[in-house]
Amino acid sequence: MVVTAKAADGKELGKVEKHYHPQATNCRDTKMRYGAQWKVANLRDTSLQPAQAKKESIEFDLPAGVREATVTVDLFYENVNPGNKYSIHSITRKVSLDR
Amino acid sequence: MRFLKLILILLFMAVPLIASAEKAKTIDELAKMYDSSRCKECHESIYKQWENSHHARPLMGVKGGLMLTPLATKGATAFSPDDPKKATIKNFPCFKCHLPQAITSAEDSVAVELAEALLAKDSTKVAKLQITCIVCHNTKAIIHKRELGEPKAGVLYSSKAVDSHPDGIFKKVEKSAIMKDSVYCGQCHGLGPNLEFDQAFQCANLYGSYLHSYIPSGASQTCMDCHMQKGDHLIAPNFNDDKGTSELLAKAISLDVQTLGYEWLLKAGTYVPKVVVNTKITTTAGHRIPDG
Repeated sequence: MVVTAKAADGKELGKVEKHYHPQATNCRDTKMRYGAQWKVANLRDTSLQPAQAKKESIEFDLPAGVREATVTVDLFYENVNPGNKYSIHSITRKVSLDR
Repeated sequence: MRFLKLILILLFMAVPLIASAEKAKTIDELAKMYDSSRCKECHESIYKQWENSHHARPLMGVKGGLMLTPLATKGATAFSPDDPKKATIKNFPCFKCHLPQAITSAEDSVAVELAEALLAKDSTKVAKLQITCIVCHNTKAIIHKRELGEPKAGVLYSSKAVDSHPDGIFKKVEKSAIMKDSVYCGQCHGLGPNLEFDQAFQCANLYGSYLHSYIPSGASQTCMDCHMQKGDHLIAPNFNDDKGTSELLAKAISLDVQTLGYEWLLKAGTYVPKVVVNTKITTTAGHRIPDG
């Protein structure tokens, strides 16, 4: 999931990535491995779990003088390599500090 | 006499190698032994679904990739042979699930041919090796072998029995004890590390996730309830279909986004303009995402 905040002129104010997936090593060193032929066991699992909501609260501090931001949340599935993406949801919200 | 000879030749051609104890020596022989192409004569729509499925290209990975290539490449993995000509079935532990018929029905010469084909990027040859109808509806159909015995030659197994099945080889369909249960899929869509090998490795964890996360949540759907609705043998996702995969994922995964803009009082007189983005992802899947 990539969360991006942009100013009205399109300038990027901030970007946060969250990666949800099981992470495994070969149990001989501390390097994470992809590929069944190299992995031996998971040591961390940030994936989406059945019947459990995955919640995040992400903060962007705006630079002085900026009162508005456009926030986009892109949720996608990466398969085999980061270039092979399947879009799941893309949600955009305009956020203003003025009432 | 000529007529009798013709009949004998036709009979020989009709009886696949699977009927004999002989093992396949080549990829073509193994492919022929488990060839299910004649199934489409009566099960056309199911066959078409299967043709687009990952089961029809278990050694091809996603979008034409030859995912087993490291196993044929010297030094790339602990399983890789020094020379493709020395490859054996044991050099390909992935056969456990990606080509189970190779373990029961192939000579090591098939491993040599596959290793050479992978290194030569011969996709056409590698693509001949498939998880066909026979693999699921015979080879993998029984898990209670001490009670029920090995899958019988000439018998297919399905969710219901059919007394007379109009096929030259598989003339009968028996009811499988497990074909409607998730444990059937769990044979390959695994539990975690494959510790039974002399070099442990880990592929799919999906059935482990189903057993240890989904079932304890109080849910009770099976793999088939979601992935084989109306008997669909595509068994989605089909990762070669970008649009279909996105739609399936969007159906199973919900994203809620709530935002807030305010000025945070860091300390007296110091306000920090801040945007907060709260996200909540929920899934209806019966397993972790991602997994396989």
